[in-house]
Amino acid sequence: MSGPIPLSALDVALASSLLLLHGLLSAWLGLGLTRRVGVAALRSVLQLTLLGYVLAPVLAWEQPLLVFLLGGIMIMIGAREALGRVSRSHRGLFSSALGALALGGITTTILATTVIVRVQPWWSPQYLVPLLGMILGNALTGVGLGLERSLDQLDTGRVEVELLLARGATWWEASRPVVADAIRTGLIPILNSMSVVGLVSIPGMMTGQILGGVDPVLAARYQIVILFLIAGAIAVSTATAVLISTSSLFDAAHRLRIHRLQRKRR
Amino acid sequence: MSAVLEARGLTRRIGERILFQGLGLTLRAGTSCCVQGASGTGKTQLLRLLAGLDPADEGTITLHGRPPEAWGMPTWRARVAYVPQGAPIVSATPAAWRARLETLRTHPPDGPDPCEVAARLSLPQAAWEQPWASLSGGERQRLHLALALSTAPEVLLLDEPTAALDPALVGAVEALLAGRTALWVTHDPAQIERLGADVISMGSR
Repeated sequence: MSGPIPLSALDVALASSLLLLHGLLSAWLGLGLTRRVGVAALRSVLQLTLLGYVLAPVLAWEQPLLVFLLGGIMIMIGAREALGRVSRSHRGLFSSALGALALGGITTTILATTVIVRVQPWWSPQYLVPLLGMILGNALTGVGLGLERSLDQLDTGRVEVELLLARGATWWEASRPVVADAIRTGLIPILNSMSVVGLVSIPGMMTGQILGGVDPVLAARYQIVILFLIAGAIAVSTATAVLISTSSLFDAAHRLRIHRLQRKRR
Repeated sequence: MSAVLEARGLTRRIGERILFQGLGLTLRAGTSCCVQGASGTGKTQLLRLLAGLDPADEGTITLHGRPPEAWGMPTWRARVAYVPQGAPIVSATPAAWRARLETLRTHPPDGPDPCEVAARLSLPQAAWEQPWASLSGGERQRLHLALALSTAPEVLLLDEPTAALDPALVGAVEALLAGRTALWVTHDPAQIERLGADVISMGSR
């Protein structure tokens, strides 16, 4: 087996021509997506190219501080992206998402590098950065879906929550079904993809390793580990974010303070 | 008769607007008090505040001389039961809702059976198994009342509890609640007279 065939800028440009299809489809059916397709394509190119250039020195210099700095930035951007999908907001919501992604992302990534893959040193950027990236990329979807669901349920279902409080429920008893439903919502995408993986989809990491010349059986093993790490991180991050956010909409006297919740302007 | 629920100097503001200021009331055991006033004068706010669902800007409330913090707010709310106006539609069925209430830590194991209470209000047993959304406003109102009584509360805070009921059922509700300590929001002068209650007029300082 050999390493990947090098790609030139021209090859990338050739692949981008496929996006013309999106543009044509949007124009033909009036989808109103032409601008979004353009922005999304441009963001993909710029962000991934930038990542390549950032990763090169981080991998080459092998400085732990640099690795942790990059990890911290990834978590911050992840929290911002997660909240981009949530239509309501309240004070402290960014901190909830940030704390939740940090907890889920860092614990599972360190578990992977120290216990499962046993990398030396454990912070080796070649392993830590891509692992953290894959874990965060999935965890932020769970956090976004979970928070959207819990905040929507508390807002539209406030009468039900308050009626439970009025019958003597604690904030936790009154909001527990909302929290459970939100966590379930956040977990569904990963459970769905775990069910079809290998049958329909070949995940990106496994594809990359096979293209890079790795034995497919080893690539599959890595992919299984990654999937489980992602599932664990989504569970931890989604549950943490939903719990912190929900509890911050109640006060110490178990009152629902729904006025703290604001709808974002779109 | 001893005071059960007392409020002193209650003030509630919504933004710059003062809904009520320095409001006081005393509910004695077994007596009713009616709250009347035009829409938007703070009747519902007063009940929510006494139920501990909203904080007062100023003033104190006590049950048997003890503030909500001393009881713990969930215990306070099980003892001072608020029945909201409009007979809200909640998820699933009244039977499922009842089962959920029975899991609450504050729910007394030996409270009155809400099915029996509802039956006294001419509500058929089958209504418990129907989705809330398929029940009429009057049916929901009686179910909410029966469920509120199931925590064996000492005080009832009733926000227009008979608004969706015909005269015969209004009589049944009034008979059921006779002798209970209750604060009623009502727009009906005849009801105030029948209850023989003291009256708090909101918006008429």
